[in-house]
Amino acid sequence: MRVATGQYQQLINSSLQQNQDRINQLTLQLASGSRIQLPSDDPIGNVRISRLNREQAMVSQYKDNIATVKVRLLKNENYLSSMVTDMGQARDLLVWASDGSNTTDDLKSMSQSLVAMRDSVLYTANMKDQEGRYMFSGTATDQPAIQYDPNAASGSRYTYIGNTDSQVVVVGNGITQAANVDVKGVQDWLNKIDQVITALNVPGATANDPATHAVIAAGLDGTDDGMDLLSNKIAIFGGAQNILTTLDNNLSNVSLSNNSALNDLQQTDVAAASIDLSGYQLAMQATYKAYAKVGNLSLFDVL
Amino acid sequence: MSIISNALSGSIAAQAALGAASQNIANLQTPGYTRQGVLLTSLGAGVGVRSAGNGVQVSALLRFADDYKTQQMWRAASDLGARTQTQPYLTQLERVMGDNSSSISNGIDGFFTALNAAAVDPTSTPLRQQIITSADAMAQHFNSISNVMNNQLLSVRQQRDAIMPQANTALAGIAALNQTISSSIAAGTNVSALIDARDQLIDGLASQMSISITDQADGSRNISLKTGQPLVIGSIPATMSSNMSSTGEPVLSVKFANASFTLDKVAVGGQLGGLGDFEQNTLQPLIQSVADLAQSLTTKVNAQLQAGQTIGTPGVPGTPGKPLLVYANGKMSIADNYTTADLALANSGGAAGDSGNLQKLIDIKNQSTNVSWVGSVLIGDADTQLVGKLGINSQQNQALQKTASTVRDQAVNDWKATSGVNKDEEAMNLVEFQNMYQANMKVISVANSLFDATLQMMG
Repeated sequence: MRVATGQYQQLINSSLQQNQDRINQLTLQLASGSRIQLPSDDPIGNVRISRLNREQAMVSQYKDNIATVKVRLLKNENYLSSMVTDMGQARDLLVWASDGSNTTDDLKSMSQSLVAMRDSVLYTANMKDQEGRYMFSGTATDQPAIQYDPNAASGSRYTYIGNTDSQVVVVGNGITQAANVDVKGVQDWLNKIDQVITALNVPGATANDPATHAVIAAGLDGTDDGMDLLSNKIAIFGGAQNILTTLDNNLSNVSLSNNSALNDLQQTDVAAASIDLSGYQLAMQATYKAYAKVGNLSLFDVL
Repeated sequence: MSIISNALSGSIAAQAALGAASQNIANLQTPGYTRQGVLLTSLGAGVGVRSAGNGVQVSALLRFADDYKTQQMWRAASDLGARTQTQPYLTQLERVMGDNSSSISNGIDGFFTALNAAAVDPTSTPLRQQIITSADAMAQHFNSISNVMNNQLLSVRQQRDAIMPQANTALAGIAALNQTISSSIAAGTNVSALIDARDQLIDGLASQMSISITDQADGSRNISLKTGQPLVIGSIPATMSSNMSSTGEPVLSVKFANASFTLDKVAVGGQLGGLGDFEQNTLQPLIQSVADLAQSLTTKVNAQLQAGQTIGTPGVPGTPGKPLLVYANGKMSIADNYTTADLALANSGGAAGDSGNLQKLIDIKNQSTNVSWVGSVLIGDADTQLVGKLGINSQQNQALQKTASTVRDQAVNDWKATSGVNKDEEAMNLVEFQNMYQANMKVISVANSLFDATLQMMG
């Protein structure tokens, strides 16, 4: 076939262009470490990467939620424990008070200590968070958990006015955990202790009086019930903490496997890219040499 | 004395051939130049048996051209024009929409992450504020992407408008050259340079639109669109124009004499067709889809907020929530003066710290919605699928561009094989015709010495 002088120039030009284009692409891949520069480099791979990224965003949110819920549960646990401690001290006093050898004055001073414990438990039950929202009234966070009515008869002055609804947090795909706890039942203990305090303050009060003794005994029973109630809730927190820790580990594993899938999909195969790169460099050099040799050939030179 | 006249005709023919070679060498690097040569024929003898002949004549200047090859080249130019024109737009869209941090997906993720974070403590003001802030960020993601797409739409239309005057200039030029060529042929002038100029104009036009060419006996070339509308007939050019219809859609039309034709934006082919195809089959569906997604998200989030109940203040019960998102005129934003107290995260009738409605808001991400370009998809996955489809379209265009480029290179190569200048060939022509010239001069000198010998005999 007849070859025009311009054809050879064009051939060299386009082969240099093609090589340079590939070298550019490979250099970009190596420099960024990313196999896919644009979605069109691998549309399907890109969709998979995008979906993995969406899932990673969810997983890290679940992990954040778990960390925050754990802190909140721990805080709740501490407050409930302090109530249990108060109740335990009250119990000691009640046991002592039920001893018939105590004088009226002794009983009266015991009742002062009981007042402190009653008020401490009430204070904790009506605890507010930093934003002034009640922590232990279920989801009725705008009102205190336990209401005190001084005008009511002793034994019914304390009423639980919160609810028992949960604030549910999603901590995994389809897995939820309640982040709050209510103190329904604590009002019974408060009422019973209140009755004990009233009974101990009656002039001439003695534990040998069967009526007084019955009130103290009821107070003891109520304290046992209250401590059981709170201890059960604390135990549930412990269980929840364990479940959350397990869940967090599971999510970490999911995240890890997602990450390794992302790496496989995204990362440049450095070895293959380097080999390709040197191949194209070699081709470029060969083209330069060919042009330098053949481009100099001319019949005019020998005329 | 036919020896001298034979030698004279030979030297004149050699000069003409040297002239053609010199023109070819001078145009070694001229784009679109078609090489020329001389057609030599020997002149026959007159009456009698002693005459070998009456020398040589240049019967024609040859133009080495193959119409089939030029037509091939022009056809390839249209395909290449269509694909090349579109690719920068596709690449830009991919770069913006596919970027992990500027993507719509990232904005949507951010919003739902903030909702999820608020579930831990639904009454916390900072966590509620984060919902509003991330809704604003999501709106900015939507808006910046839709800005890029609207700018592209504008740019596609401007580019189409810019092609019009270029094409019209080319059409007028071709028509004028048609006239000059046919009158010059009639006068017997060499029109090779004029034909080259006209072919260059046609080549440029062919990259702008798909055309077909018919050669006329008088040397002129008639041009029409592949879809049939005339562009140049003889010395009369058509005029192309691009206008806005009453509905704001661009309309391409061509006016020839008194007839006006409306053109199909895609079928017109070439760069114009590429622009039309991209506008009609990629950009506009994508703009619509992003609008669908933004609208659907706005409607769902607002409806859910209105179905819930705000936190209220102590003693004052909560009210139904206010709409958070506003989507109007293709722009997403958050409602003016929106505060954390306007967010309804509790179920209607629920207590202040209830998070039932928040859970329903979070679930919106998993609801399906209809997005015109890809159909029914989950809200959280819609953008991923749109970018996926865009990537596939771009990949396809790149493949077609590569093919078109190979076909065009091949066609140009074929054309050069026939019409391009080879400098070694011209070097040989120079040597050979120089030899021919010198040989003829020698013949004259021989004839001269014969004549001298005759004269001396007389002396």
